Amino acid sequence: MNKEEILSKVEHAFVTILEHDNFKLEDETTANDVDGWESVTHMMIITEIEKSFGIKFKLMDLMNMNNIGDLIQTIQSEIQVA
Amino acid sequence: MKFVEKIVTSITSHTTNQAFCINETYYSYADLISEISKIRSRISTGIPDSEKLIGLVTNDDIQTYASIIALWLEGKAYVPVNPDAPLERNHKIFELAEIRSIIDSSETLIYKDYHSIASHTIPKTSVHLKPKTFSGEDIAYILFTSGTTGLPKGVPITFHNVASLVNAIEAEPEFNLEASDRCLQMFELTFDFSVVTYLFPLLAGSCVYTIPKGSIKYFYVFKLIKEKKLTVLTMVPSIINYLRPYFSEINAPDVRYCSFGGGALHSDIAKEWSACLPNSKIFNYYGPTEFTVYSGFYPYHPETHTKAHNGVIAIGTPQKNTSYLVVDVNNKEVPLGTPGELCLAGPQMTPGYWKNEEKNKQSFFYRQENGMDVRYYKTGDLCIKDKDGDYLYVGRVDFQVKIRGYRVELAEVEFHAKAKSDRKVNMVVVDILNTLGNAELGLAIESEAFDTQEIFNHMKTKMPDYMIPTHIRFINEFPHSINGKIDRKKLKEYFDIK
Repeated sequence: MNKEEILSKVEHAFVTILEHDNFKLEDETTANDVDGWESVTHMMIITEIEKSFGIKFKLMDLMNMNNIGDLIQTIQSEIQVA
Repeated sequence: MKFVEKIVTSITSHTTNQAFCINETYYSYADLISEISKIRSRISTGIPDSEKLIGLVTNDDIQTYASIIALWLEGKAYVPVNPDAPLERNHKIFELAEIRSIIDSSETLIYKDYHSIASHTIPKTSVHLKPKTFSGEDIAYILFTSGTTGLPKGVPITFHNVASLVNAIEAEPEFNLEASDRCLQMFELTFDFSVVTYLFPLLAGSCVYTIPKGSIKYFYVFKLIKEKKLTVLTMVPSIINYLRPYFSEINAPDVRYCSFGGGALHSDIAKEWSACLPNSKIFNYYGPTEFTVYSGFYPYHPETHTKAHNGVIAIGTPQKNTSYLVVDVNNKEVPLGTPGELCLAGPQMTPGYWKNEEKNKQSFFYRQENGMDVRYYKTGDLCIKDKDGDYLYVGRVDFQVKIRGYRVELAEVEFHAKAKSDRKVNMVVVDILNTLGNAELGLAIESEAFDTQEIFNHMKTKMPDYMIPTHIRFINEFPHSINGKIDRKKLKEYFDIK
């Protein structure tokens, strides 16, 4: 799966949880840039992403995830393992 | 005031210990003393003696915590507002409490109409920690919670109330903080649970670890547990619901105490969580803001103490000097094993809601006991007392729900949702459970679909983020029960969010 495909699935997870698509996700995007993305919705988005990719993040990786770039990278490495 | 003197004794006898860890920076008790003295000098020179209630902007920094202690040394109360909450709501709170002066550590001061003390730019002063003489009836803090009328509801807590809480916890042999403890403080200072997470560590000379604003709270809590080897956790149950999928990766042998409060703790998750904390005692605390944080607890243990009702862990027994009473609609005690409204009596009880006589008449009553009039507070929580004397939580008697530990009156959310809508349509707010078992708010609108942007923009200027519904459903006709009322239970089924 290439980066664009991953990003599109990630965007879908954001739309599902946040119930709006008023955002653009790029490597540098953080929670401050997206309306409604905060502690609680972040947890829901993570669960949604795990479900749609059929992966399970490690708490250690989630702990150090700061932006969309980190998220994509972690998904890529998880897919490789799986 | 004895507990204020105790704070002074503790901070002056632990000067070389760390007092706070805030965003990776440590502050010693000596640093704390210096900040308290600086802020106090501005309070005593800039605010008249007669002005007792002072606004406090709750940033995540040493100055904000030092401000609380400085105000207490001066016999004054803090009225906290969260800088992330809508400005209009914060102004309303200041207006309701008739605030004239504010302590604000923010880079930019935005409350222009008030006398502001910029607490992070005060030059060094000499140490001055001797508390003033003041009455126990004076107010130590006022917290504003969700009210049914669309206005926040003020709960004043006196110095005597706080002293009684400290007294009750000190009498509890199962819980003793030490100067070497590292304690989690994950709450907004506008939330009453925060009082125990900064006050008890400061009284013991231990270190308080806060959560930086803007971080993903749940992961930061885990990061602190793991990297800082926290020993004392105080949390709302929703935290572990969110961490639950990762429990197998959590092993925290350093944790000695884990206290829950601010919501129902479920048996199944408590058992799983306790396996992550092999050396910890777990307390399920109960207590409303009106009763100064805690009124009692149940000592949960996965093998020996698992008492529960409908899967919700018992709230146990009242603590020292507190009495519980379960009553019917006429405020008469019900027999053992019968559900009724839990009422509390004792020295931790608020003198009454801030300037709200009507609400006070509904929420407090007197009862004759041994020839004395005893004042009781009606919690709105349905409970059962069992034959062992333990109290079990059953549910709410009204439409108040808990979102991430915060109390939310559904009526207040409905009020603000309807206020800006020119369409005269019915709107009902319901609490729904997400996949992780946490409550979220859903807004049901009896109409064809329309653009709700304006309604949400309006709500966001009136209420903090946890009160904004996260789901919307348009329903052509609301379901009704046989007696004609809107069937909220059926309505919830429209929100399939799992």
